[in-house]
Amino acid sequence: MIKSNLIYKYVLSLLLVLMVFLPLVVKSSFVLEILVRILLFAFIGTAWNLLGGYAKQLSLGHSAFFGLGAYTSTLLQIDLGISPWIGMVVGGGVGLLASLPIGWLCFRLKGPYFTISTIATANVLMLIFLKFRDLAWGAEGTTIPNLGNAPLMMQFDNKVPYYYILLGLLIIALTITAWIERSRMGYYLIALGEDEDAAEASGVDVVKVKRNIYMISAFLTALAGTFYTQYIYFIDPQTAFNFNVSIEAALVSIVGGIGTLWGPVIGTVLLETTTILLQSYLGNSIGGIQLTVYSLILMAVILVRPTGIVGYFKEKSQARSST
Amino acid sequence: MSDALVINNLNKKFGGLHAVNDVSFSVRENETLALIGPNGAGKTTAFNLIMGFHRPDSGSIKAMGHEISGLRPHEVCKLGMARTFQVAKPFGGMTVLENVMTGAFLREPKTHASREVARESINFLGLGPKEKFAARDLTTIDQRRLEMARALATQPKILLLDEVMAGLNPAEVDQAVELVKKLSSRGLTIVIVEHLMRAIMAVAKHMVVLDHGQKIAEGSPDEVIQNPEVVRAYLGSGYVKPQGESKHD
Amino acid sequence: MLETVLQAVVNGLLIGGIYALVSIGVTLIFGVVKIVNFAQGEFVMIGMYISYYLSTQFGIDPVVSVLISMPILFVAGVLIQHYLIRRVLGLNDLPQIFLTFALSLLITNLSLMFFTANYRTIHTWYSDEALHLGGIYIPYAKLVSFVLAMVLSGALWLFLRSTDLGKAMRAASQNRDVAQLMGINPNRVFAVALGIALALAGAAGSLLMPFYPAYPMVGQVFVLMAFVAVVLGTLGNVLGALVASLLMGVAESLGIQFVGADSGLIVVFVLLLVTLALKPSGLAGGWRK
Repeated sequence: MIKSNLIYKYVLSLLLVLMVFLPLVVKSSFVLEILVRILLFAFIGTAWNLLGGYAKQLSLGHSAFFGLGAYTSTLLQIDLGISPWIGMVVGGGVGLLASLPIGWLCFRLKGPYFTISTIATANVLMLIFLKFRDLAWGAEGTTIPNLGNAPLMMQFDNKVPYYYILLGLLIIALTITAWIERSRMGYYLIALGEDEDAAEASGVDVVKVKRNIYMISAFLTALAGTFYTQYIYFIDPQTAFNFNVSIEAALVSIVGGIGTLWGPVIGTVLLETTTILLQSYLGNSIGGIQLTVYSLILMAVILVRPTGIVGYFKEKSQARSST
Repeated sequence: MSDALVINNLNKKFGGLHAVNDVSFSVRENETLALIGPNGAGKTTAFNLIMGFHRPDSGSIKAMGHEISGLRPHEVCKLGMARTFQVAKPFGGMTVLENVMTGAFLREPKTHASREVARESINFLGLGPKEKFAARDLTTIDQRRLEMARALATQPKILLLDEVMAGLNPAEVDQAVELVKKLSSRGLTIVIVEHLMRAIMAVAKHMVVLDHGQKIAEGSPDEVIQNPEVVRAYLGSGYVKPQGESKHD
Repeated sequence: MLETVLQAVVNGLLIGGIYALVSIGVTLIFGVVKIVNFAQGEFVMIGMYISYYLSTQFGIDPVVSVLISMPILFVAGVLIQHYLIRRVLGLNDLPQIFLTFALSLLITNLSLMFFTANYRTIHTWYSDEALHLGGIYIPYAKLVSFVLAMVLSGALWLFLRSTDLGKAMRAASQNRDVAQLMGINPNRVFAVALGIALALAGAAGSLLMPFYPAYPMVGQVFVLMAFVAVVLGTLGNVLGALVASLLMGVAESLGIQFVGADSGLIVVFVLLLVTLALKPSGLAGGWRK
């Protein structure tokens, strides 16, 4: 037991060192782009996993928080000149606050209908931002004025700093997840995910726990929204509230292993690698091929191993201790 | 000894079905009360009402002196009442230890302390060697033990046991009876819903009989089984012994 | 003013009939099989493409092609139940939700690959003709589709009420364990439920072709409508889904008329959110304590 714990810590430290020094070794902008994508979706997936993986509240509307974060920081930046660093945290706060009414509404239905309600609320937000031009530039969106290299305004002239920002965010998200896993909240999350009634009877305030985890999950997702806007220098409702963000957040977690610490990370690495291989074989010419492959992978996972990659290993070790 | 649980004029309707109809009874501290009745009599509904899973239409439920009708289940649990479910509801993906820790966390917010309380509860119920087993891999009786251990870990004063002996073989029933007695010896007030007469007789001195949502009898086991209403409820009118005569065929 | 409102209401009812076909399928599956079919809209889309090709290749009228699209989709439903759905029954929510969700993604993107994103339309001899009834303009195509949608809904209702299989489905919907004890084979019942639901979706697609374009993503609009109708009409309640669909068609139409051309969807969503806030169990549902 002690030995495997030590090995785990050793590997983890190695991985951390690797990730920190990677951009200094990798010079290709193309590869850096891929790494940024992987870190971004690992981060979003980890945020989603708190609510959807541990507590099994399967939201497909997390793009709501992504978009709110994105718009908050952009509005603060363009209208008031406030740095996106601050805007990012404020955006997180907006996402967190939004999760309260959204959660209140959506939790009134259970299971798949909860999922549908989250889709609906994310859609409503997109429609609102599309329709009301006075709110925030309407359907055309806006670009972020390019200030060249402006670290204080979260703008950089090369990809490396973005990589480090995301790495930092991912480490924060993973740390939060690991901490929750070990604490009372972690047990309560898994319990209510398995059986809400039994959890209630065991003293779990299910409503409060769901609300709290939704807030954390929303906060983190909103941070990603700010980041992405700064990264692509552009925002519009279709991009900010894009359904694909919601899908991919859930997808990487399910494939990698819902309710596990490393599930979303592993799932992202797997799926992004597949995408890259696909793109190099088939190019971008055939529309729909990427999602076709993703959906086939998802179906395979659901039918064969719903607990995902990490879940598979976890179950094997559990089975071993049950003998 | 004061009353641990007092039910007064409890009523609950589901659509046209009067599931619990003006039921009243009291349970003294450290007493074991058996709640019996034919299937569909309203026993589990009564439990659900007491624990807060449903809101009663009218009536009052007092536990340890507090009015608890209308409270949510976790609030009731916090006040000192725990239950097991008729069909065991383990947290399948968690181990036995993790399951029971979930209950222990109610009183012990820190993981370390919670683990200690959970272990104590697990050992009390005889599941010690299996603490690392995945809950879904347990046998039926072990899952029942797990339910009890998890409930016990919330450090309740009142324990509601819903048909913990259903589907057990005779040896297992004996074990279950011992467990219930052990729980009572810890000072717990117990309300047990059960069908198995010999099990009930072994643990309870006080019985309440429900039929079609109404209380039809209350008293000691001997009094109750001779009550014509009770016989009628379980076996039909043909079996009711007219006073002083022997049973017809 | 009254005329405008009346026209909007009529428009809404006409399209509501189509929404009904889609949402009845969803609520039927949910009631009987207890899963939510996220891919329902995609089967509408398939129905549309079937009719499109039958029309352009063989000159078969879309309304007539209902006779072809429905059986095809019925078989598809049975196969999907047998090979896919059956394997995730009895598990918890996650596999059930994401299986049909993945199916939806798969079908949409396969269509994108094979049919391309281009809009496909059919122009029939009656596509531009309409009935003029006291100042109200009723396009033939929409009227026919509405009437047929009601006929199909009525047929389903009769089936559920009068036939053994229909009653078995209602039984399984209300209490699966008891139904099983009575000798009803759940898999058979589920397969039929899936088949019927998908056939209705296919019919909706075929009926849409004379006045609606086909494209790979078209299903998503209809499925969202269907879900709102199912919630509004109470989960599992076929009549509720029908009524709710008509209501939603009208709400959407009034929204388009009086709020803005792009506001149909938002009105519908607001309807959903209001339902969630006030009465989550839907029109026919009991009050939750």
